[in-house]
Amino acid sequence: MVNFTVDEIRALMNKKKNIRNMSVIAHVDHGKSTLTDSLVSKAGIIAGAKAGETRFTDTRKDEQERCITIKSTAVSMYFELAEKDLAFIKGEDQVEKGIKGFLINLIDSPGHVDFSSEVTAALRVTDGALVVVDCVSGVCVQTETVLRQAIAERIKPVLFMNKMDLALLTLQLEAEDLYQGFQRIVENINVIISTYGDETGPMGDLKVDPAKGSVGFGSGLHGWAFTLKQFAEIYSGKFNIDIEKLMNKLWGENFYNPQTKKWNKTQGEGYKRAFTMFVLDPIYKIFDAIMNYKKEEAARLIEKLNIKLKGEDKDKEGKDLLKVVMRTWLPAGDAMFEMITIHLPSPITAQRYRMELLYEGPQDDEAAKGIKDCNPEAPLMMYVSKMVPTSDKGRFYAFGRVFSGVVTSGQKVRIMGPNFVYGKKEDLAEKNIQRTVLMMGRYVEPIEDVPCGNICGLVGVDQFLVKTGTISTFKDSHNMRVMKFSVSPVVRVAVEPKNPADLPKLVEGLKRLAKSDPMVQCIIEESGEHIVAGAGELHLEICLKDLEEDHAGIPLKKTDPVVSYRESVSEESDITCLSKSPNKHNRLFMKATPMAEGLSDDIDKGDVNPRDDFKARARVLVEKYEWDTTEARKIWAFGPEGTGPNLLVDVTKGVQYLNEIKDSVVAGFQWATKESVLCDENMRGVRFNIHDVTLHADAIHRGGGQIIPTARRCLYACLLTGQPRLMEPVYLVEVQCPENAVGGIYGVLNRRRGHVIEESQVAGTPMFIVKAYLPVNESFGFTADLRSNTGGQAFPQCVFDHWQILPGDPLDGKSRPHQIVMETRKRKGLKEALPELDNYLDKM
Amino acid sequence: MKVVALISGGKDSCYNMMQCVKNGHEVVALANLTPADGEDELDSYMYQSVGTKALPIYAEAMGLPLYQDKILGTPVDTRMEYTPSENDEVEDLYRLLKRIRHEIFFDAISVGAIFSDYQRIRCESVCQRLGIEMLAYLWHRDQNQLLHEMVDSGVEAIIIKTAAMGLSQKHLGLTLAEILPDMLHLNEKYGLNICGEGGEFESFTLDCPLFKKKIVIDEMEQVIDSRDAFSPVTFLRLKKLHAESKCMNER
Repeated sequence: MVNFTVDEIRALMNKKKNIRNMSVIAHVDHGKSTLTDSLVSKAGIIAGAKAGETRFTDTRKDEQERCITIKSTAVSMYFELAEKDLAFIKGEDQVEKGIKGFLINLIDSPGHVDFSSEVTAALRVTDGALVVVDCVSGVCVQTETVLRQAIAERIKPVLFMNKMDLALLTLQLEAEDLYQGFQRIVENINVIISTYGDETGPMGDLKVDPAKGSVGFGSGLHGWAFTLKQFAEIYSGKFNIDIEKLMNKLWGENFYNPQTKKWNKTQGEGYKRAFTMFVLDPIYKIFDAIMNYKKEEAARLIEKLNIKLKGEDKDKEGKDLLKVVMRTWLPAGDAMFEMITIHLPSPITAQRYRMELLYEGPQDDEAAKGIKDCNPEAPLMMYVSKMVPTSDKGRFYAFGRVFSGVVTSGQKVRIMGPNFVYGKKEDLAEKNIQRTVLMMGRYVEPIEDVPCGNICGLVGVDQFLVKTGTISTFKDSHNMRVMKFSVSPVVRVAVEPKNPADLPKLVEGLKRLAKSDPMVQCIIEESGEHIVAGAGELHLEICLKDLEEDHAGIPLKKTDPVVSYRESVSEESDITCLSKSPNKHNRLFMKATPMAEGLSDDIDKGDVNPRDDFKARARVLVEKYEWDTTEARKIWAFGPEGTGPNLLVDVTKGVQYLNEIKDSVVAGFQWATKESVLCDENMRGVRFNIHDVTLHADAIHRGGGQIIPTARRCLYACLLTGQPRLMEPVYLVEVQCPENAVGGIYGVLNRRRGHVIEESQVAGTPMFIVKAYLPVNESFGFTADLRSNTGGQAFPQCVFDHWQILPGDPLDGKSRPHQIVMETRKRKGLKEALPELDNYLDKM
Repeated sequence: MKVVALISGGKDSCYNMMQCVKNGHEVVALANLTPADGEDELDSYMYQSVGTKALPIYAEAMGLPLYQDKILGTPVDTRMEYTPSENDEVEDLYRLLKRIRHEIFFDAISVGAIFSDYQRIRCESVCQRLGIEMLAYLWHRDQNQLLHEMVDSGVEAIIIKTAAMGLSQKHLGLTLAEILPDMLHLNEKYGLNICGEGGEFESFTLDCPLFKKKIVIDEMEQVIDSRDAFSPVTFLRLKKLHAESKCMNER
């Protein structure tokens, strides 16, 4: 471990081309934290008494106990690239001339889907991602989720195949099978990259390629790793082939005949795959010699490979010796850092193409230019992606990335929350930053200032931001774009203190909880109930535990978890709904119709969004969803929150003054889609058409007070007359288990309204992967149920996938949806009766 | 000038009358149009109708003659500009003023309109045809300032009808001073007109410096007129009132 003073680190921060900000992302249990440990022990900057302890980045007690990462953690490292390797770095913005030292800021993030909002927050502040895949299980559901997010954020990926020790020791895979396994993973990863990425985009081709050195192999647990570059270096002299050319030969369909010393593109007689022959064979030989106690053979190999063992290590045997030998021969840190510094972008490189996605303001204002050029002289632009609890209870460090300018202790800044709108004063504060700090795993170090391209924490900003926000010194600054999460808080519980006198502590605790987690929502219902909403059962469990033990510090009563629903329509409204304004002088005529399948999802993903040029958006709607061109150009609003999956469309023909009431109708629409009529849940997938309006000729008689409530009533009437339906959230469940447990999985799924969509064997292993859809409402206790029905052999991963219509008419008193509507209304303290159409619909 | 004051019973028509007096004019009579018998509330584009049944008491308090006709017409021409049309409710006003002219002399009317061009244009049409002037001192005054001014100048009025988002039966019976903070808030939130000029609320004047007697409500009832879920139309039906001498109470 390198010992650096804060001043030395500060000096490194100025060398922007030699900085790499990266996150480590993977499916749960694929070994991120263990791998990160092996990097930290090699190069972590701040040495401490705890250095070298395992799971350095798992700072919480429960993380260490459960062996899962819950919160993402940042750590800075220093690595010196060898002189000869500098040549491998392509692009003049990727390295300061002649400087070998690199500052690597790494964020280890959770792999469990329930915590993927932490991943989102990590990705935002980094430019590159190390994607870790267990080479035995291959690409799993969460690998895809996080990789997709990374690409959407314009984060460049490199790949690491982990757990090779497992493949060799436990599964005893043949070399060719192992190669095929690697090949498949590379292909799977590249399929995801090309599905969600754009090869012609500003980042160029993002595909990973072992022959280019952007794929690593090894074992985080044993501390060894390599890329083809390491082996090409070993053989380059022997074959007298340039390293880069040789790397190409060491992968794919390249075969070598040791007798004739010839290369071939097909595997003819006497030819062997170059990767197996030159890379895997030596590793297999070492494993074989050491694990089978062939002492002489082992000693010979160790000498041949020029591996220098220390005194005490020479006496080791078996697995211990194997670890030492491999670690000395192929130290994980060197290979990984080489891959990271060579293949991941510097802030200068990355911010040039990330700016347009990051900044909401004009693409040519000072802030935009500052971000694009990563210019420390430009105004400060910093994005706060999450809040990290301090030792001072109830206070938080605002953690984020400086994209432009320099953030300084004591500096006066504008603090803009996600609801800030340019030109308005809402969600805006002008305050001084008390202190800036470096975040190092579980430690923080005060630092005077931090220039752009770096990650740091701020003290004294937490009161002004809920979870995230933009910090700037530019008075005309717009917001940096709010992060889009891949999961939604669909599971909720109500909490109350066991002792009613503790209520104020609970309220305070909920505020802190809301800050400390990027995803969790703490809501107060009209009934006065306190609701905590999270991504899944595990997420909620952790949140509630934190709330009980830490944030509120009081014993709590919790209800059983319930899910959020959405309200939608299944048919076009059977009448044109009319609502009159309170003064009776304005009339709105509207109808609801269900949106085409897929359009809601496209809106959720942002493929169809309110910011698009209306003509371009109309083209998509016409081509993909067969909208009428004129109508497609007259979308008034997305809602709720201005971005949601419901649309308000003007289909009127030549109505006077219509535009003057647009703002009021849109306000009513935002309101109605957020708190819909059946049980106050959000609407989803509803298109509202404004067919006609008659308005008072005088503007004074058609203001917001008249039109907003009328629009809301009319929209509710539309929903009620459009065969309303409830939608429930559905998980995609992925279960890995041995064949004999598959039957048990089907049984459990059937009982819980789940259905299997895919079942496949993991190539080269006896493991099966079952994929299924499972309503979130049926998922409570699913993990435990599954384990008990499969003898503990099946482990599910549930990730929110989509919304589906719950069959049945909620207006029918005997249906299941009706029951849910009533239960929800009761819980929310609403009138326990179905809303009557007469309340919303007026007669001519 | 001799002025016939168009009154609804509300604060604006009353305050405009005070302005007429202040500017040296003489109010000689009161005029009003009221819904046909058995109707309290009628969605007229022109006339306030809640409370007009109580206007005889109002006239007694003012000590002036009241000319009151039934509204027979309906809004026929609802465009901004107005062309005299048969059966339009505006023609009811024309007929009423013409009738008054047969009995007494006047050369102007007092109108409490503030921002409604719709109402102004129609009153002007009537005045033009009768060759009289229209006195509208409140026209385009700042509503915030105006409401404060009314409160300060001793117009005592209560809310008798609400019809806008944010207003409900809980506002019925409030005095102008009491509803003022809510109106300021709702103005900011939903753009409501502070003086209720868009029909947000209607008021009934119980006392003002011009009154010789003050009005006391003996009996009234709340009516919720619409089942509108968010902005129900609510009003007070003034069932029994009387006017009593002011010095009695100021003893």
